[in-house]
Amino acid sequence: MTPPFADVVYFEPWWMQIAKAVVLFALGLQIVPLVLLYERKLLGRFQNRYGPNRVGPYGLAQPLADILKLLAKEQFRPRTSTGFLFVLAPVLSILTAAATFAIIPFSDTVDIFGTKTGLYGVDVSIGPLFLFAFGAIAFYGIMLGGYASGSKYSFLGSMRAAAQLISYEVAQGLAIVGVVITTGSLSLVDIAEHQAGMWFIVPQFAGFLIFLTASFAETNRIPFDLTEADGELVGGYNTEYGGGRFASYYFAEYLNVVVVAGITTTLFLGGWNLPAGLDPPHWVDPFVVLFKMFLIVTLFIWVRATLPRLRYDQLMSFGWKILLPLATLNVLATAIIVVVAD
Amino acid sequence: MAELFFFIAGIGAVAGAIGVVVLRNPLFSVLALVSHLLCLALLFLLLRAEFIAAAQVIIYAGAVMVLYVFVVSYVGGADEVIPLTGGGRAQRLLAVAFGGAIFAELAIAVLGTGLKALSGEGAPYSPGPQAFGTPAYIGRLLLTDFLLPFEVATFLLLIAAVGAVTLARRRRGLESGEPLLARPAIDYSRPGFTGTMAEAVGGRRALTAPDPDEPRAGDERPERVPS
Repeated sequence: MTPPFADVVYFEPWWMQIAKAVVLFALGLQIVPLVLLYERKLLGRFQNRYGPNRVGPYGLAQPLADILKLLAKEQFRPRTSTGFLFVLAPVLSILTAAATFAIIPFSDTVDIFGTKTGLYGVDVSIGPLFLFAFGAIAFYGIMLGGYASGSKYSFLGSMRAAAQLISYEVAQGLAIVGVVITTGSLSLVDIAEHQAGMWFIVPQFAGFLIFLTASFAETNRIPFDLTEADGELVGGYNTEYGGGRFASYYFAEYLNVVVVAGITTTLFLGGWNLPAGLDPPHWVDPFVVLFKMFLIVTLFIWVRATLPRLRYDQLMSFGWKILLPLATLNVLATAIIVVVAD
Repeated sequence: MAELFFFIAGIGAVAGAIGVVVLRNPLFSVLALVSHLLCLALLFLLLRAEFIAAAQVIIYAGAVMVLYVFVVSYVGGADEVIPLTGGGRAQRLLAVAFGGAIFAELAIAVLGTGLKALSGEGAPYSPGPQAFGTPAYIGRLLLTDFLLPFEVATFLLLIAAVGAVTLARRRRGLESGEPLLARPAIDYSRPGFTGTMAEAVGGRRALTAPDPDEPRAGDERPERVPS
């Protein structure tokens, strides 16, 4: 008899699922400090200075020192804050960021110790929608953090975040519809495999640009970092946070950048596929994905060093009047081409 | 495992729904509604309707409720408590009548389908792109069997959007001839050093110290004519 609620079926044994979860979590936990250090080093070079170079060889232990400093700090909260929401908000942020890391496919199924294993956390049938669903919950992390702080600056920052995230989520979602239509599947593994011949950055170049731009806004990076504009809002939604809670906000922010880099790699840069018909053994695939993610993160930092911050009305009109119509046009054109070509 | 999640999500959904009604703080009510919707999404997930679950989270928890949070945190403060009492006798009777009617309606619907589903075996699970609950399946249903309701719903949303724009337009901003700033953003007419840090710490008296009994310079300035 079929059970009324179907159990979720994985093809891997239970111990492999646990091992995968641990490895992915450890990987995410290791990448973020590296990205932090890389950003500070690269920004230093862009601004004609050295960047951190005192802690450890070449300043490599700098993120460790930062984290230790934050964790050793006192946990304080303003008297006007709303108790449990103030504690819950950073947890929500970091939880959703870590959950979305699970869907980045690093390779197809491979044999590990004679067990068929997919080199990804989980290959969900709804693919990118998983990212958006958790993005929707991550929004509450920012929003509640700003609200529960009981501070004007935090509140203004979180209100800006609300408007910005809603506005750009639409364009980001529409930008990938072209990829999904062409592949005919939402599964990220299928999408990556479909790009064995040609990466989607070529036929879906407009979609790629729109997705990347909207991703800058979704991750609150310059030039869309109005949620924490230091010059106006002290620090935005996380103004009143310190110590470990601030560390988790900070961590979630950079983990989101890494996740977006991974999703962009999968959707538009061919995932683990190499150009020019190169077909290396499977153990190379994760490194290919990591290298492409590294390139995208470099682009994020480069843009941060180059562009100034947008004004709020510019942000809104750009999102609704330029990005959204372009994304819609892209979907229409792709749909017509796919139907005609069939 | 599925049973465990079912009871977690079911209890969460009911608790969230009760919380919406019982909690006095409007923001907490909205948050209870969000948790209710997330639990519903979990229930959809248990029914293998992944797409519906994701849509539930993205659209309801992620877009609609965000707007609620937005409005509540701007308009209704956390200290503002809505009183339970109030309203006339007729209004209370009507409320009870409507509540009872909705309860009866829901009870009939839930019992009817629930009893029918007891003897069934649930939706069969079969992997594949056209299986029950997948985006492809739902998309085909929307564009074939349920085309008319689908189009009517989109039309309704369009009307709502047009109505919102019309309502927002009615409250006019500046007249076309009016200058952007009817009065200067910085009030140059005030005495020197007033409102500066130097005055605050007592380092310098304001150039013409205002007499507290006399009306200050800013008070007699004509208010901007509301448009």
